[in-house]
Amino acid sequence: MAAVARRQVRPPAWRRALPENLTAWSFVLPASVLVLGLGFFPVIWSFLLSTKSSNGFGPEHGVGLANYRELAHDAEWLAAVKRSLEFTALYVPVTVLLGLGLALLLNQKIRFIGFYRTCFFVPFVASAAATGVIFLYVLDPQYGIVDNVIAWMGLSRQQFLDDPDQALFLLAPIYTWTAVGFDILIYLAALQDVPQDQHEAARIDGAGRFAVFWHVILPAVRPITVLAVVWETINALQFFDIAWATKRGGPIDATTVIIVYGYKLGFVDGEQGLGAAVACVLFVAIVLLVVMQVGYARWRKLDVV
Amino acid sequence: MVQFNKTHPGIVVNDQLGSNGDEMVQKLQAVIGSDNYPDIAYVYGSDVPNVSQSSKVVDISKDIKATGFDWNSLYPAGRETATVGTKVVGFPAVIDNLAVVYNTKLFKAAGVAPPKASWTWSDFRAIAKKLTNASKDVIGTGFPISGSEDTTWRLWPMIWQQGGEVLDKSNKKALFAGPQGVKALQLLSDMALKDKSLYPDQTPDTQKMYGLFDSGKMAMIVTGPWQLPDIQDHHVPYGVQVLPAYGTSHETISGPDVYMVFNHSDARRKAAVTFLAWLHQPAQDLQWDIGSGNLPLSSKTAALPGIAQFDKKYVGIDLFVKNLSNAHHIRPPVTGYTQVSVAVGKAIATSLLGRGSPKDTLAQAAKAADKALS
Amino acid sequence: MSSEALSRAVAAPIERAAPRKRRRRRPSAWHLLLAPLALIFIFPFIQMVFASFMTTREINAYPPALFPHHPSLEGYRKVLQQSDFGTWFVNSVIVTSVAVASQLLLCPIAGYAFARMRFIGTRVLQLLLLTTVFIPPQLLMIPVYKMYAALGIVGTIPSLFLPWMASAISIFLMRQFFVRLPKEIEEAAMIDGCSRLGVFVRVLLPLMRPALATIALLTVLNAWNDFLWPLISITDTSKYTLQLGLLTYQGQHHTEWAAVMATNVMVTLPLLVVFLLGQRHFVKSLTFSAVKG
Repeated sequence: MAAVARRQVRPPAWRRALPENLTAWSFVLPASVLVLGLGFFPVIWSFLLSTKSSNGFGPEHGVGLANYRELAHDAEWLAAVKRSLEFTALYVPVTVLLGLGLALLLNQKIRFIGFYRTCFFVPFVASAAATGVIFLYVLDPQYGIVDNVIAWMGLSRQQFLDDPDQALFLLAPIYTWTAVGFDILIYLAALQDVPQDQHEAARIDGAGRFAVFWHVILPAVRPITVLAVVWETINALQFFDIAWATKRGGPIDATTVIIVYGYKLGFVDGEQGLGAAVACVLFVAIVLLVVMQVGYARWRKLDVV
Repeated sequence: MVQFNKTHPGIVVNDQLGSNGDEMVQKLQAVIGSDNYPDIAYVYGSDVPNVSQSSKVVDISKDIKATGFDWNSLYPAGRETATVGTKVVGFPAVIDNLAVVYNTKLFKAAGVAPPKASWTWSDFRAIAKKLTNASKDVIGTGFPISGSEDTTWRLWPMIWQQGGEVLDKSNKKALFAGPQGVKALQLLSDMALKDKSLYPDQTPDTQKMYGLFDSGKMAMIVTGPWQLPDIQDHHVPYGVQVLPAYGTSHETISGPDVYMVFNHSDARRKAAVTFLAWLHQPAQDLQWDIGSGNLPLSSKTAALPGIAQFDKKYVGIDLFVKNLSNAHHIRPPVTGYTQVSVAVGKAIATSLLGRGSPKDTLAQAAKAADKALS
Repeated sequence: MSSEALSRAVAAPIERAAPRKRRRRRPSAWHLLLAPLALIFIFPFIQMVFASFMTTREINAYPPALFPHHPSLEGYRKVLQQSDFGTWFVNSVIVTSVAVASQLLLCPIAGYAFARMRFIGTRVLQLLLLTTVFIPPQLLMIPVYKMYAALGIVGTIPSLFLPWMASAISIFLMRQFFVRLPKEIEEAAMIDGCSRLGVFVRVLLPLMRPALATIALLTVLNAWNDFLWPLISITDTSKYTLQLGLLTYQGQHHTEWAAVMATNVMVTLPLLVVFLLGQRHFVKSLTFSAVKG
């Protein structure tokens, strides 16, 4: 017996979406509350601090945007920005490419591969202070092993970290040494993801090894490459620990990059308002930079966001 | 600590680690906004004026009087650094001064007589040159250029000896770029660049310079009594002499640090002062000094019979104690001092690395200092 | 790195995937390349291990020695016998464990929701979360401290693991993972009658292992090595973590290098062990047999 079909009243669209919305929010809420509460909130506070003049102990007085204006005319600030940019330009490509290369090398089933992987991860695990001490020794102009090897080869000894012209550009490979473990990690995980069938198809078609790399692997890990570039750019612009641990921003400010400068302003010079202003400017700059990078990736349809 | 707690029921002192000196200011800045700040904190002398701006730092001279402690028995440099304007903000913690420690073995090996008490900076330069032996990897002396206060404060006695000043009377204008400052920095610069007898040490905390001396690779260092325990540990045969002079003045510099008192409540503040007063009684002072190698904080302590034990343990320390009377000036106790220090530190580093003439670099530093002090 | 080497690196696993007669594998030529590189990377750590067996005096000497001439346990003795190493260790372990557990619970589901579900505010929320990655931590210490003080938890152990209980990076790593995962797997499961949560737990979880392992590792690293924040927050010595304990050996004028090196070694070793054990999970291959079958 056919039942009379009752006309179903469809609930409005938002009603239909409600369960999905609720579920989704319940999934994201705990993590988001923690991250935003503990992470984002201080940024706002910092911005408020940047509108004041304070040394952390005495009374504060509001100065509006005067700190930012002062910064814009500060020759040392501009010099710090220049150094940060130079550092970033050197550090990011080297680290990302090295990460990819090492991940490929480590993506094999040969014996001891676990041990090898751990080796490349060791620097990532060492603290900045320990790293600083070690490299101060290794690059010591009189007693360090690098200069001794150079001298033995007949070349002239370099001052390395003691030389205002060389110091910044030496910190880049040192930082790479500590940081590349992360890139290796994410690339390794991504390489597991590369569809085997594409591999095999290409090989069966007689593609050379390099062609396989260029046409199969590289495109497959492109999202990770974008991630790595963005991540390392942020790291480069926020570089502080090793510069401080080794040379405290010296010699003669040669390694005073943006955060070193901000730290000095806030905690050495006692200009907390200016230090906070540096933090906010950097924050905005990084946001813009990342937006540009991700936007570029999306435009090229690199399937990131 | 245990001793005090036993003899003073009603007051309990807890030992909390703050941080090391450099980070102490940062930590204080963070905690002073909340209620978790300590009652007493060990603060570098040069940071005292800045920290004193906090409302939690109050004048404790009345509390000190109440405990019956003889404030004036403490050495003047210590008292002055613990006083900001008219406020007494704490007790001197460590008092020191600069003198020259030299390696007697290296002197003998080079056939050079140990420095006399009347020696001058020209003598210093000549001796350093003679003792520098590149083939044996030995250098005459060193100078820290890490840019921290250790870089800057070494220049001040050289200026004072010539009758110069660091800042003018109003503490608003820099005078260190005058002829005295330039002459002093020029000497150091020539030693570093022309004679190659002075090693500019870039390491934070002056580690390398002291390390070289401890390993017998440096003949003389300008340093303070705190270094003696280390030197003895490394079995370096050493002697101590006052700073070389310009003319007849062997003036040195003393850089006391301060146990600053922070106000929570009347009761706590008074308790803190009681503890510090007890700590500074000659008996406790001596006990502390023997254990740590710090100089006595008051002439009363230096007069104690037990001081002989102190002198015996740290050979040469009696000279440091006597040298305290050579300290006539203190560092300008102004809030902008840290910026002045940084500016001058940079000037020194730039000159000693051969990247600028002393005249130019000091002039630049003076400009920066004037700005910071305005 | 030459492209030749790269392409060889790529080709190697492919060759083994192809069926071939079993024969004893000769030691791979890759060792020639990997071994020296690995040595460069761990050399400084080796030097630190050697230094941990020297006396402080030997470490301070110029010229610096590579091998300890008179090996001594001075550093280890100082640390293990004369200090609160045990307490510090326990504190560090607590902080790290809580942080990792929390991250593994909270971040994957957040990442999944961002990747798969459409809901109001998803874009805005992601943007806000993303911005937290850009914050330079050193300069924000004071606002952060004031905030924790206002919450009344300064100086406690929870204040140490709280910052690491969730992170935008973990969320985005998980999101990335889910984005790349073919939808067919879930759709197949849902057709079979699974709820969203069921899909998540029964089908996706096993596949997530590499990503989860990555998040866990990063969290362990960050929580274990965190130094600046505990320095500012903690005053009670009984709540010290290992990184703070290290600080007690560094005085104003004198550093107990032997103890510092020994502590560094003992602080770093657990991390390396964790990594060594866990690295297999990073490279478990995903099988898509569920899709193909």
